[in-house]
Amino acid sequence: MAESGSSSAPPSPALPTGNAAVAVLSAWLIPGMGHIYLKRRLRGLAFLALIVVAILIGCKLEGNLYTPVPGQPLTYLATLGSMGMGFPYFLLRYGLHYQGDIRGAGYEYGTAFLLTAGLMNWLLVLDAWDIVRGKKE
Amino acid sequence: MLSHFLLMVLYALLVSVFFALLWRRGRREQVKLFLQIFLGMVGGGLLVAWLMYPFPSGPPAPIP
Repeated sequence: MAESGSSSAPPSPALPTGNAAVAVLSAWLIPGMGHIYLKRRLRGLAFLALIVVAILIGCKLEGNLYTPVPGQPLTYLATLGSMGMGFPYFLLRYGLHYQGDIRGAGYEYGTAFLLTAGLMNWLLVLDAWDIVRGKKE
Repeated sequence: MLSHFLLMVLYALLVSVFFALLWRRGRREQVKLFLQIFLGMVGGGLLVAWLMYPFPSGPPAPIP
């Protein structure tokens, strides 16, 4: 019975491989790791390289790594966005005590690079979530 | 060291490669989307800069 049913079923284009929680958590903690965990190694490594490059450029330009500022609601959103980069955010903030320098010539550009790195990784988390649920290849 | 234009190109490059890899699967489709986003960002930036050129925002900043 089961054999006759399975033989007529079309082959599945995207097979979810892995645990959703592990995929999402690893995707957030280390950029690209969710894709690597889900057997998309090349894409995961490419995403990792892109986000690391964005973070390095942002730090080199002495951009702002957002933290919440009381009375400024947008800084809460920006902090949430920046925290999307996962472990690198906490490494920079608490491990290396990175501050950024508002007097730096590249401060605004650096801030854009750092914030973009966080936002890009949030998109990777959502992508890993879609892959593990079989909604995307 | 780095000019405004070069930084803008670098930023557009990173973002366009990222979205091309994220949103498209085939190599041809990826290249097409990459070019659309990259040229859109750089061209759009230059267009806005050109439009803003006749309208200075205020007195020139003092030279340190």
